[in-house]
Amino acid sequence: MAGLTIDNVTKIFEDDDGEIVAIDDVSIDVADEEFLVLVGPSGCGKSTLLRMIAGLETVTSGTITLGDQIINDVKPQYLDVAMVFQSYALYPHMSVRGNMSFGLEESTDLSDDEIDEQVTESAEMMEIADLLDRKPSELSGGQQQRVALGRAIVRDPEVFLMDEPLANLDAKLRAQMRTELQRLQEDLGVTTIYVTHDQTEAMTMGDRIAILDDGRLQQVGDPLTCYHQPANQFVAGFIGEPSMNFFAMDLTGDRLVGERFEYPLTDALSAAVEGRDAVTFGIRPEDISFGGSAGEHAFEMDVDVVEPKGDENIVHLRLADADDEFGAHVSEERSPDAFVATISGMESVEAGESIVATIPPTAVHLFDATTGEAIHNRSLDNVDVSPVE
Amino acid sequence: MSTSNDSIVERATTVPRKRIGLYAALLAMVVLYLLPLETGLFTAFKTQSAFQTTIPVLPPIGNQITADPWFQAFDRLWPALGYSVAFVVPATALSALFGSLAAYGLTITKWRGQILIMLIFVAGIFIPYQAVLVPLTRFWTSIVNIRGLLGPEGSLVALSITHIAYGIPICTLLFRGHFKGLDQSMFEAARLDGATIRTIYRRIAFPLAIPMFAVTLIYQFTNIWNDLLFALVLVRGEYEVVTMALQSFTGSMVGQYNLLMAGAFITALPTIAVYVLFGKQFAEGVSGGGA
Repeated sequence: MAGLTIDNVTKIFEDDDGEIVAIDDVSIDVADEEFLVLVGPSGCGKSTLLRMIAGLETVTSGTITLGDQIINDVKPQYLDVAMVFQSYALYPHMSVRGNMSFGLEESTDLSDDEIDEQVTESAEMMEIADLLDRKPSELSGGQQQRVALGRAIVRDPEVFLMDEPLANLDAKLRAQMRTELQRLQEDLGVTTIYVTHDQTEAMTMGDRIAILDDGRLQQVGDPLTCYHQPANQFVAGFIGEPSMNFFAMDLTGDRLVGERFEYPLTDALSAAVEGRDAVTFGIRPEDISFGGSAGEHAFEMDVDVVEPKGDENIVHLRLADADDEFGAHVSEERSPDAFVATISGMESVEAGESIVATIPPTAVHLFDATTGEAIHNRSLDNVDVSPVE
Repeated sequence: MSTSNDSIVERATTVPRKRIGLYAALLAMVVLYLLPLETGLFTAFKTQSAFQTTIPVLPPIGNQITADPWFQAFDRLWPALGYSVAFVVPATALSALFGSLAAYGLTITKWRGQILIMLIFVAGIFIPYQAVLVPLTRFWTSIVNIRGLLGPEGSLVALSITHIAYGIPICTLLFRGHFKGLDQSMFEAARLDGATIRTIYRRIAFPLAIPMFAVTLIYQFTNIWNDLLFALVLVRGEYEVVTMALQSFTGSMVGQYNLLMAGAFITALPTIAVYVLFGKQFAEGVSGGGA
């Protein structure tokens, strides 16, 4: 077991049209036995970074250190890492046993008996012992996934690298494997770097998550910190489903003035925006509450669409008295008067209804209008985050 | 109800009529394609006099039947058959093996300039046999005096090597297509499993390419076995290969068509045998289904 250090790593792909910077000066420290999730939208470079750690891509500049060895130029076959691929990458002509023993046969001097013993042990751990003599084509997707994990586990490597290993599973199995993978990683205590584009996987699985966008590292931290204290607007929008509501606002006196609504500042917010004239205003859907009467932080809104999910309702809102200038539809690019709120599944609202929605100042995030950098994050003072005894 | 009954009756009568037309057309094509083969086969079993007095498509009857042409043809062909096998089998196997190795190196590994090398391979496919006849004979006499080095058997070695060289480009192209179709992350997984490039070929690429080996083996065997041009140019003296031996049937024996037909069938047999032997894998390889 060992920790992994990624130090100022850059990857540039040379193309016919010039250079493409896939990874731009990224530094991450992964502690021994840590579960780190690399998350970001597709094309952000997260898989490239993982492949660089595996030695499958060259490192343009910077260093990657495993334990106390720099592994920039170490060929994959000499690295003590095991990788799980999205496609599973099983050897189709070999049995499950053959797939699992291949790595041990190639990378160790163990005798056949010892290999067999380890394969059986790992297969039992993954509950695939009864599949050992089958070929991958005779297995279901979920079983193939288990074999792919088993093949990584049996190697007992210093680091697990996982490239969207659950992406090809159906939702139910994915949720189940998520839990199982976490438990497995905890039991084995192997340093794990897990790549995904799915923010739910990132939030639920990682000890820490590293958010990448366009080759640049946006934030590294534990999931709740990234959720409540995002470093910038990208992280705030990427983590959390449905996404945070954003509005471009100008600062006029002691109020923020948007295209469609005004928001009076409290002392804490005023202090944060001092010296600026424009900010991006952010509020998470679950922080918007319904009921009460209109006030300076409570607005009359019309319910546009309700998406019931059982445990919660996702409610699309538009400011009341809004004319149709911005279109009465819920679009990808939110119009400046549209909000998304989530409320408990037991509260019922219907499309067309008029309600009062409160945006509590303590839950407001503010970001720099041009750089997107966070200038004020929500207060957690009156939120109970103490562990359950 | 009555209308549906009508249509069923109608269908019952019209569909078979269409079918009859279809089967008739198919039968006509079968006859058309098999007639030359049947004629050849009957001719090979006829005596010389029967051949001259009967219509070629009719089967031999009674004392017209003879197997003599087969024995005669076999007697004259069998040394040539042996020489052909001796050079075709290694040429086929090695062109497929080298082709698969080249394709592996050009597909699974990454290095600068591999596209250029691949283009040179592809260009090799399009060089016509006729264009290289003179340089080829010069090569195997002035540059590498193969008969001087190995004696008369050198002819067969020269022929074999020439066919290997000529076969590598097309084999490489076929294997490259096959390797490109495989999951590339599987090869990456194997590297991370600690396997060397050589081991990955031996334990993963090679076993997965077996259907493609069947395709190239059949293709190359047929091509090389049936080749006359290179043989005529490169082979001197006693090591006549089977196509040369068969060709000599037409010259010396005027009008002995029964002998010629029997000889042609004997010559064709090995290629048919190879088809039958690798037919299943061939179908797999052609349809692109790996393991």
